[in-house]
Amino acid sequence: MKNDLNAFVAADPSKCIGCRVCEIACAVAHLDKTVKTVGSLNAPLLPRLYLVKTPETTMPVQCRHCEDAPCVKSCPVSAINRRDNKIMMAEQRCIGCKSCLLACPFGAIELIAVCPDDRSRDYNVVASKCDLCSGKLNGPACVAACPSQALRYVNIAEERKCRQLHAATKAGNFIKEFRAREG
Amino acid sequence: MKHSLIKIDDELCTGCRRCAAVCPVDAIEGKQGQPQMIHSDKCVMCGQCVQICSGYASLFEEYETPRDQKMRERHMPPAVNEPLFAAYHTGDYPKVKAVLDNQNAYTMVQCAPAVRVAIAEEFGLPLGSLVPGKLAAALRRVGFSRVYDTNFAADLTIMEEGAELVQRLTKGGTLPMFTSCCPAWVTFIETRYPELVKHLSSCKSPQQMAGTMFKTYGAQLDGVTADQVYSVAVMPCTCKKFEAERPEMNSSGYQDVDAVLTTRELAYLIKEAGIDFHSLPEESFDNPLGIYSGAGTIFGVTGGVMEAAIRTAYEMITSKKLDNIELIQVRGSQGRRQIVLDLGTMKLKTVVVSGLKHAVPILENLKKGIADFHFMEVMTCPAGCVSGGGQPKMLLPVDCLASHQRRTASTYQHDAELLVRKSHDNPAIKAIYQEFLGEPLGHKSHKLLHTHYHVSHPDH
Repeated sequence: MKNDLNAFVAADPSKCIGCRVCEIACAVAHLDKTVKTVGSLNAPLLPRLYLVKTPETTMPVQCRHCEDAPCVKSCPVSAINRRDNKIMMAEQRCIGCKSCLLACPFGAIELIAVCPDDRSRDYNVVASKCDLCSGKLNGPACVAACPSQALRYVNIAEERKCRQLHAATKAGNFIKEFRAREG
Repeated sequence: MKHSLIKIDDELCTGCRRCAAVCPVDAIEGKQGQPQMIHSDKCVMCGQCVQICSGYASLFEEYETPRDQKMRERHMPPAVNEPLFAAYHTGDYPKVKAVLDNQNAYTMVQCAPAVRVAIAEEFGLPLGSLVPGKLAAALRRVGFSRVYDTNFAADLTIMEEGAELVQRLTKGGTLPMFTSCCPAWVTFIETRYPELVKHLSSCKSPQQMAGTMFKTYGAQLDGVTADQVYSVAVMPCTCKKFEAERPEMNSSGYQDVDAVLTTRELAYLIKEAGIDFHSLPEESFDNPLGIYSGAGTIFGVTGGVMEAAIRTAYEMITSKKLDNIELIQVRGSQGRRQIVLDLGTMKLKTVVVSGLKHAVPILENLKKGIADFHFMEVMTCPAGCVSGGGQPKMLLPVDCLASHQRRTASTYQHDAELLVRKSHDNPAIKAIYQEFLGEPLGHKSHKLLHTHYHVSHPDH
């Protein structure tokens, strides 16, 4: 396996406080124009990650950019593709059939209404999901906005390396201790 | 009113408790992950919880209470499209709208210094845009009969508060003296430190001084009676709504300020009237109660009242001209700043505090008899009124600091650009003392511009 697995954003439920700033940051990052204040926002907030609260846990859920993505396979019009190590939705091709919504095991896909232009009263219903803030300089907006550092951009190669190092260090230390004890 | 001004919608609150962390008086109670409650006896209505809350009504979730009902409960106009957040304040919007729709109403409006450096943000302009001219034009176009300014009353406050400080210093009186412009601070002292109430300046806040002047002097100028005037204040502050309804605030014989709109509520009014804020011309506030100095305008930032007071008090005490009027030492963002001013005969020691929590150790020391200063300015909100609970709310916390800094910078820029920068040099202030008030701390100004703060009991 080469180091070209898709990256994704993961939430740590032990750190998440459920404030929803990630959702707002996501929605704001995907607006056509820069909006800073609530009052100047003349549109609904449409995030691409969703805070989930159960009695046991609180965390946002978003697209995992699966390697064998069920959404890609389920799409009858090839509107979902793998591109630049991400699973990307081509909204202009989407016909709103909801197959991807059914296929996604994480519930990471929503159907949203999109107006082709500001003046139009017509709208299309299309699938929407995390694009890892593709094209944004500072990486995913949700990660940057989280006040409790509960979100993390997971780079698979680095993650694996990091875990292997951690495991090796731990095992090495254990063996050293064991040897010392055994004399 | 106090009990219902700031609220948390338990359908929208996720229990992240960031509001509890920002509350300066620990008034927000609840478990992590559960909807929070505001302890109304402790709440000073500063609205900082409203500013930080990001628990919003998601389009992807269903709520028992429909959006239009939530908007009615919040006193918001139906056409507003913005998302609704869990922490909110109820408002005076419907009241003011009804009065403006009545062709026969005689309305006078005042606008706080911090509003002109923030309102444009609600129309997509850059953070901290300075727009006094467009603001005056907008107030005229939404239908106010007289477009006056709180800044004028801030200058008036300096005349009275400066004179009061000089009197306490020279003739004796309770020292140190505390500023009384910030209603959340006054409420805090009344409820938590009743034994220190006597330290508060007896001056009313600029909002209340303006309200009184509108219904007395202003009414007299326009040939109307106090009961005909409907007086509205536009404020960056949520607690100003509470202040306006205090029973002692009726020196004109009527409630001096009938309604208070926050900066955000004024933006609703402008939008609802279909006014294109961007294309508004630059107009000025009406004479004479809309003429102000740079000292009046810096009331909007932490340290501003102190700087304005020193600009006047120095000249009152020393009879010398203060050349270096930009007192950089009192400016800044630290929670506590101190400066010592050489007045020749004495050294005036002053303290500036922003953020109520920073005031507590000072008050505790004062109770123990340890106080090494004469005059203290306290503003409840972190950067002063520019960061008030009624100001435009940032969508993202990362923009909060930038908005405070830019609003502050614009405030100082406005001061620097004004020709008159000391309250006692304001020609309209000179005129009002000559024609109407007499002298600072005189009989008439005492009756109209001062009050007695009292010890309040939560049950009363």
